[in-house]
Amino acid sequence: MNLATLMRVKRLTEVVWEIPEAEKPGMLVPARIYGTETILRAMDAGVFEQVTNVACLPGIQRYALCMPDGHWGYGFPIGGVAAFDLEQGIISPGGVGYDINCGMRLIRTDLTLADVKPRLDALMTELFRTVPAGVGSKGFVPLSRRTFQEVMRKGARWGVENGYGWDNDLTHTEEKGSLGGADPEHVSEQACQRGMAQLGTLGSGNHYLEVQVVRNDRVYDRRVAEQFGIHGDDQIVIMVHCGSRGLGHQVGTDYVRIFEKAMKRYDIAVKDRQLACAPYQSPEGQHYFSAMNCAANTAFANRQVIAHQIREAFRAVFRQSPEKLGMHQVYDVAHNIAKVERYGKRQLLVHRKGATRAFGPGSPDVPEPFRPVGQPVICGGSMETGSYLLVGTAQANTESFGSTMHGAGRTMSRAQAKRTVRGSALQQTMAERGILVKAVSMSGLAEEAGIAYKNISEVVASVDTAGITRKVAELLPIGNIKG
Amino acid sequence: MGKTYRVLDEIVLGDLAFEATGDSVSELFSAAALAVIEAMVDPLSVGTHWTQDVRLSDVEIDDLLFEWLNTIVFIKDAEGVVFHDVRTSVNRDSGKTRWHLDATLIGDRVDVTRQALRTDVKAVTKHLYEVGQRGRTWYAHVVLDV
Repeated sequence: MNLATLMRVKRLTEVVWEIPEAEKPGMLVPARIYGTETILRAMDAGVFEQVTNVACLPGIQRYALCMPDGHWGYGFPIGGVAAFDLEQGIISPGGVGYDINCGMRLIRTDLTLADVKPRLDALMTELFRTVPAGVGSKGFVPLSRRTFQEVMRKGARWGVENGYGWDNDLTHTEEKGSLGGADPEHVSEQACQRGMAQLGTLGSGNHYLEVQVVRNDRVYDRRVAEQFGIHGDDQIVIMVHCGSRGLGHQVGTDYVRIFEKAMKRYDIAVKDRQLACAPYQSPEGQHYFSAMNCAANTAFANRQVIAHQIREAFRAVFRQSPEKLGMHQVYDVAHNIAKVERYGKRQLLVHRKGATRAFGPGSPDVPEPFRPVGQPVICGGSMETGSYLLVGTAQANTESFGSTMHGAGRTMSRAQAKRTVRGSALQQTMAERGILVKAVSMSGLAEEAGIAYKNISEVVASVDTAGITRKVAELLPIGNIKG
Repeated sequence: MGKTYRVLDEIVLGDLAFEATGDSVSELFSAAALAVIEAMVDPLSVGTHWTQDVRLSDVEIDDLLFEWLNTIVFIKDAEGVVFHDVRTSVNRDSGKTRWHLDATLIGDRVDVTRQALRTDVKAVTKHLYEVGQRGRTWYAHVVLDV
């Protein structure tokens, strides 16, 4: 098979591939990549290089993983998952990414396409007005330094306590939207200054807010879908993709710098400067974990405030309360994070970078109403092709450290996408196809064109066939806001 | 040749890589700054009502450039500004122990209604990061997380 690597890649199953330890000096465990043959052939060289670099990190357990939406990243590939022993293992900002707790939130409604279509323009205009997006955008929530520290400690709970959301939003959020061990003492002054004015903002790049429709023929598991509040019948849902904004970006920057120096002290050598790391139990490792949790909580709070703004926009346009419109949160998941989780009798530090937690039925970490079926997994596709709602499985817990894919995964550079597509033309074409796009930046819009991404259905088929998540429903875009 | 930069789109997918060059270290620092600035906005669409002086120093030239580019990203968020132009001067002290940067950033508050905004820069990374000299030309390879 023609692959972007000279390393030997063994086929384990129809959709699981392994690079043995012997393929690179220093590998402590094998590397595994999920994907159909088509997906594997399309993987860039960076994936093979980076997932095998991760397999060399001290304390790694079983294997380094890359999900089918994987592509070149910094240190870890995007789509990378790796679990480390808490005593012998490391923690690495390169395994989390600069956008700490970048994640997805999905809100359901009782509205249908027929209800929304006549008012779609007004709705998207209102959403574009109330959810700031783009370079340097500022939020509407004025925060003192003291209050911002509360946000870092409490996450989404701060939002709900301050009137931005509903109590059951928290039970429908990974970790209830509030990670423990978040001490703002370990967050730099610069990080605070970057993030303080940005609560409730989308950012730019691949971040977006999307109004979507669930068609009957795209509900693949009706029992699970109903459990998640999704029934099809042209039902309208809203998806948000964003993270911790400047605060998280600066925490990542600060600790890559700190870890580069610390590695000499701990005699750790890595294959890539972006894999800078420190022992998890070291002071540097613990400080990063604490600062990362602060950033993760800020991201949960950010999506919480945005959810509030979305509900208020629907209230304004449809002149009904969000409660009457049935605007309950389906779930909120992180896809750039490191967390201590229990697998069997052991606790491990699981890094997910462009990968989603996917706990199966019965897991105590899955909220009560979903426990019989498993955790909702929200995967964002390109703005042209649609997204997916999946469900976690018991197999994910035993096989992939409770992890699965997070989105479509890029196949084309931003520069090439801009050479291929013009933002204004794309906006026009999408409007003709019934997708209304409001964008701060036309060049940014072109960079996110559907042709720049893998076929998300093929990516989803990979994890579905592997059994680490199951397909529940496909969510098709009708309106999109981009920074 | 003067200061210039070019996008290296063959080495990244989701982000932005560039090579900046200059006949002097000052020109290199200007070119690299311009690459970061132009990733975020068309500078011609930005006014000049805001300025800030930046002074940095470091033993290593690559560390100083890394700090400089990160400072631009920091100021963008902390001040809520985008940039029209940049002036830089880089010198080495007489003992040749440290490099010193004196720079001025010129721009304006973010205004989506008037400025041609592009993509937010999250971070300057160390991935493939390199600063060096080819003959008399200074160069830097930088990858931005966007």
